[in-house]
Amino acid sequence: MSTNNTSMKKHMGLKASTRLSNTAIYIILVIISVIWLIPFVCIVLQSFRVESTWKVGYVIPQQWGLDNYVKLFQTNFPRWYANTFIIALVVAAVQTVIVLCMSYTLSRFRFKLRKPLMQFMLVLGMFPGILGMIILYRVLADLNLVGANSLPGLILVYVASSGMGYYVSKGFFDTLPKSLDEAARVDGATRAQVLTKIILPLSKPIVIYTILTGFMGPWGDFVFARYVSQLKPLGMNAAVGLQSWLATDTMTHDYYTMFCAGGVVVALPVALLFMCLQRYYVEGVTGGAVKG
Amino acid sequence: MASVKLTNVEKVYDNKVVAVHDFNLDIKDKEFIVFVGPSGCGKSTTLRMIAGLEEISSGTVEIDGEVVNDLQPKDRDIAMVFQNYALYPHMTVYDNIAFSLRLKKVPEDQIYEKVTWAAEILGITDYLLRKPRALSGGQRQRVAIGRAMVRNSKVFLMDEPLSNLDAKLRNQMRAEIILLRQRLDTTFIYVTHDQTEAMTLGDRIVIMKDGYIMQVGSPTEVFERPANLFVAEFIGAPKMNTFKAELVKEGAGYFVKAFGAKLPVNGPNGELLAKNGVGSREVTLGARPEHIVLADAKAENTIETKLIVSEMMGSEVHLHVRTTDGTDLIVRVPTIQLSPAQRANLQSGATLYITFEDKVMYFFDPESQENLLFH
Repeated sequence: MSTNNTSMKKHMGLKASTRLSNTAIYIILVIISVIWLIPFVCIVLQSFRVESTWKVGYVIPQQWGLDNYVKLFQTNFPRWYANTFIIALVVAAVQTVIVLCMSYTLSRFRFKLRKPLMQFMLVLGMFPGILGMIILYRVLADLNLVGANSLPGLILVYVASSGMGYYVSKGFFDTLPKSLDEAARVDGATRAQVLTKIILPLSKPIVIYTILTGFMGPWGDFVFARYVSQLKPLGMNAAVGLQSWLATDTMTHDYYTMFCAGGVVVALPVALLFMCLQRYYVEGVTGGAVKG
Repeated sequence: MASVKLTNVEKVYDNKVVAVHDFNLDIKDKEFIVFVGPSGCGKSTTLRMIAGLEEISSGTVEIDGEVVNDLQPKDRDIAMVFQNYALYPHMTVYDNIAFSLRLKKVPEDQIYEKVTWAAEILGITDYLLRKPRALSGGQRQRVAIGRAMVRNSKVFLMDEPLSNLDAKLRNQMRAEIILLRQRLDTTFIYVTHDQTEAMTLGDRIVIMKDGYIMQVGSPTEVFERPANLFVAEFIGAPKMNTFKAELVKEGAGYFVKAFGAKLPVNGPNGELLAKNGVGSREVTLGARPEHIVLADAKAENTIETKLIVSEMMGSEVHLHVRTTDGTDLIVRVPTIQLSPAQRANLQSGATLYITFEDKVMYFFDPESQENLLFH
């Protein structure tokens, strides 16, 4: 009886301490998320403000409405939005294919220059991309892919370096047992079929991660997009376009709340994407592959 | 349903390590060949070269008379079972088994027929819709075998398929592989490090060490006529006792001096030694534990030993004994042959007199380690 009691006490102690540490963790997390969310909440609130269009000293609108959103779509914004969307979509698609093929190759094939190639890319990756901006602009200008024509130019530049982003997916492929590849190859699969039928289905989280990063890069790009577009309205993406509204104080006066509405519209698809796809980040899929 | 021929096959890795040396072997149609040897002996590498998963550095591999060196695994028409099962974790058991057939674009109704046929033989029909992670080790291995069965391929390769199973399951699966072989009636190449598996499964056994073939032969051959000391010690459990001894030629006959005893060499062994022209010399003498017998009393042909440990295995007793000069030997005695008095005597420290059955002594050259009887 007495041993029963002690073990029960110990058990209760364990439960209580778990609960305590959980509470502490939640409190910290809540504080962090509040701090993190403040700017977003501010922007969303501003976008619904209709009593004035300029910056004001308060956060909560006195009059709520969708005026900013309605007006937003009467400007060049839809064009910028479409530009951004097309660029991001094409880049995400092409980049994902390149990155996954690259990672699979570096993970599974053994060829002479494999190591030197990886080292070369590692070193190359250490140079900030911004260094190449001027020369890239010259090249794009010669190809007539700047200004109003900047869309294909931007896609070209974003996609060009995607092979170097293989680290995460190669790391993941490396953890998949090689015997799966071998079994599939003996079963009659080509290397490409091994990738599409075995490796990729087992790498859903990484595939989705690759698509998301491929999409996010061009979606949020500002510096390069602005440089290449030269502020020609047809060639701008959403970020560059929205920022152009805040170029002078007078413009800021007229466009500030619309700028906020634009920000919300830009953030929406990415937020939705993340909400839909986040479960793949946590899904463990390799269980049962080999003895374990 | 095909012969496999390896001619001068070598495997040299990029770091110049030679894994397989000059491997020559003719595997007949429908033969069950076992590659056996300690880890690192090159047996798996050889199998993987036949499968096409490992490049062949030199030499040729032929399947059914066709050189396959440059063919991809998928074009070699082989089936393979891996040690770690290598089941596709995102597919159900059914899809795992059907995978190769789907790649070949076999109609779904035929796939269904084949998969259910294999599942029935292997007793996994109830698990067809489960994912591999929901199966036990034995069930997973059955799925892996099923996946290979439906292929109808020319050669069936198995790379240590039972090594990950527990002892009881391993015995059961071993028996099932024998049945499977009868049913499939195709060429099998089986890799294992377990000599029991090799002895029970193989028509012929290829014993390897450090990338070299030590001996190729039927289980009886390698057991009764080991070509060298390595084979003699590797095949048989507990392993053969080996020790230094002196072979003396006396007239037409021979005797052995070991541990102060004089052991006559009679019968076929003496004749073989004479035929091979072996004179008086140092030898490494081999005697299997089951070929050592207990003597009732000290005699000219007995060796005096002290009993260290006695292991009662049920039908037999394993006696670990030490000779007067400190050599450890193992003696295996059927329990039924022990008199009550002998049984009572099997206490640690007891003095036992042992002798060898001369027909089954082995004589090895201490230098080359070759078997002097069959050399």
